[in-house]
Amino acid sequence: MDVVLFDWKLVFTQIPEILKAFPTTIELTIIATLIGYVLGLALALVKIHRVPVLRHIGAFYISFLRGTPILVQLYITYYGIPLILKYINLTHGTNYNINSIPAVFFAIVALGLNQSAFDSEVIRAAIESVDKGQLEAARALGMTGGQILRRVILPQSVVVAIPSLGNSLIQLIKGTSLAFTVAVVDLTAAGRILAGRNFRYFEAYCSLAIIYWILTIVLEQVFKRLERHFRIDEQAPAFEGKEAQRLTAVLESVRAEKAEVSAT
Amino acid sequence: MSYIEIRGLSKRFGDTQVLDNLSLDIEKGDVVAVIGPSGTGKSTLLRSLNLLETPESGFLKIGEKEYNLTCRSGSDRRKIRLETEMVFQQFNLLKNRNTLENVTEGLITVKGLSKAEAERRALLELDRVGMSDRLFHYPRHLSGGQQQRVAIARALAMDPELLLLDEPTSALDPELVGEVLTAIKKVAAAGNTILLVTHEMNFVRNAATKVVFLEHGKVEAQGTPKEIFENADNPRLKQFLYKINFLDLVDYYI
Ligand SMILES: Nc1ncnc2c1ncn2[C@@H]1O[C@H](COP(=O)(O)OP(=O)(O)OP(=O)(O)O)[C@@H](O)[C@H]1O
Ligand SMILES: [Mg+2]
Repeated sequence: MDVVLFDWKLVFTQIPEILKAFPTTIELTIIATLIGYVLGLALALVKIHRVPVLRHIGAFYISFLRGTPILVQLYITYYGIPLILKYINLTHGTNYNINSIPAVFFAIVALGLNQSAFDSEVIRAAIESVDKGQLEAARALGMTGGQILRRVILPQSVVVAIPSLGNSLIQLIKGTSLAFTVAVVDLTAAGRILAGRNFRYFEAYCSLAIIYWILTIVLEQVFKRLERHFRIDEQAPAFEGKEAQRLTAVLESVRAEKAEVSAT
Repeated sequence: MSYIEIRGLSKRFGDTQVLDNLSLDIEKGDVVAVIGPSGTGKSTLLRSLNLLETPESGFLKIGEKEYNLTCRSGSDRRKIRLETEMVFQQFNLLKNRNTLENVTEGLITVKGLSKAEAERRALLELDRVGMSDRLFHYPRHLSGGQQQRVAIARALAMDPELLLLDEPTSALDPELVGEVLTAIKKVAAAGNTILLVTHEMNFVRNAATKVVFLEHGKVEAQGTPKEIFENADNPRLKQFLYKINFLDLVDYYI
């Protein structure tokens, strides 16, 4: 009997089957990233503005999430949220159904919170890199705190933060592979299920390695593009095109109006 | 009664009384130059008027309007900020906005002008300071003098009652000082009211309508450039002018 030690063809042919779980991995990644950015920004602002009380809670939160393995955090969420629900049901007489919570919810919460701890540091450093003079100028113009944040601080810190946020996203994509531990059928889980059927575990993990690797390479390229897009070129943009023509016309009419006013 | 009156302005940092119950009158169209030794509170005076510092006491009267500079409410503070505009020593243009956008930014977000209106105003002021030929340049593409002229246009476009200039040429290479001073002269000629801190004594002598000598947070002497530079009788003022080589040694000793 022909014993096939390593079925290398299978490594490639089963990739489409595994990719059926791709939407789950992407869902996990995107939602956890968004949670990470929003909470991370909030944590960063709390730290920068030294908000009393919240600042200490934030520091504790970040320290905990950075100091414990993501796998442990996944299990804590997985077992902890039902416990909290049970407690609420007991004390408030409510009847929330624990089993109605989809498994993916636990994974999203755990990954999102974990992500926010790491992103908050990146975001804080990026925000603090915006020079104070510009902020004073914006305040002197009369812009509100929110306007300054949205129109001056964030656009400039995004440029600074992009490379690190890219790295953190790549870490996250790889981190989603742990979601199978809380019963989510992501890429890794799909690969394991396949292998459970044909006992080709080595091939399954080779397929998974290829998929994650390609994903990471694509993401790296996307972030490089983004970085280039946001960076202000060394060379001043040429004054040409439709916009330039329009502005030239406006300038001429402004000059004409001014000449008219001074003539009268 | 002057058009603009600053009354009872006091500001301390820790133990130092930087502004000490300071009062100052400014007429419409005046170019008031503030001179004085380093650390006497010239910047703090301008920054307090723009609420970049919050003074312990002080009133600002402009025409019929009177403001308490110690107010805390956000909307009151923004009202005061609309009356004055600041030009900084370090230009402080927004690095992620080009020349045109730097000027339209405040017009759109603060004054609520439409983009088209904002552009017309911006182009008018940029043209005045000779920067209408670099609309798409970002601050990193501009020399210090050019950046400062954009900053002046940005402040002017907001149509302030009082334009505050804090050492606008001090961060510039010597060959770039002239272009900025020329721009300021034009701005003054257009009827704007200006409060200017500078060490360019020749400019003060030529362009200022009034000179204020500040020391230890108080107005120690004030008058026309002629009164200040030629007929100074205040001993502290004389000492200062002597130190900056603006008074003859002989004169000082007489
Ligand atoms: N944020 C601050 N905290 C503490 N002290 C300050 C602060 N800003 C200014 N000071 C102090 O207030 C005094 C006045 O400073 P200010 O900058 O107004 O002086 P100035 O007249 O503008 O001096 P220069 O000619 O050097 O610019 C100085 O003694 C300075 O050290
Ligand atoms: Mg100063």
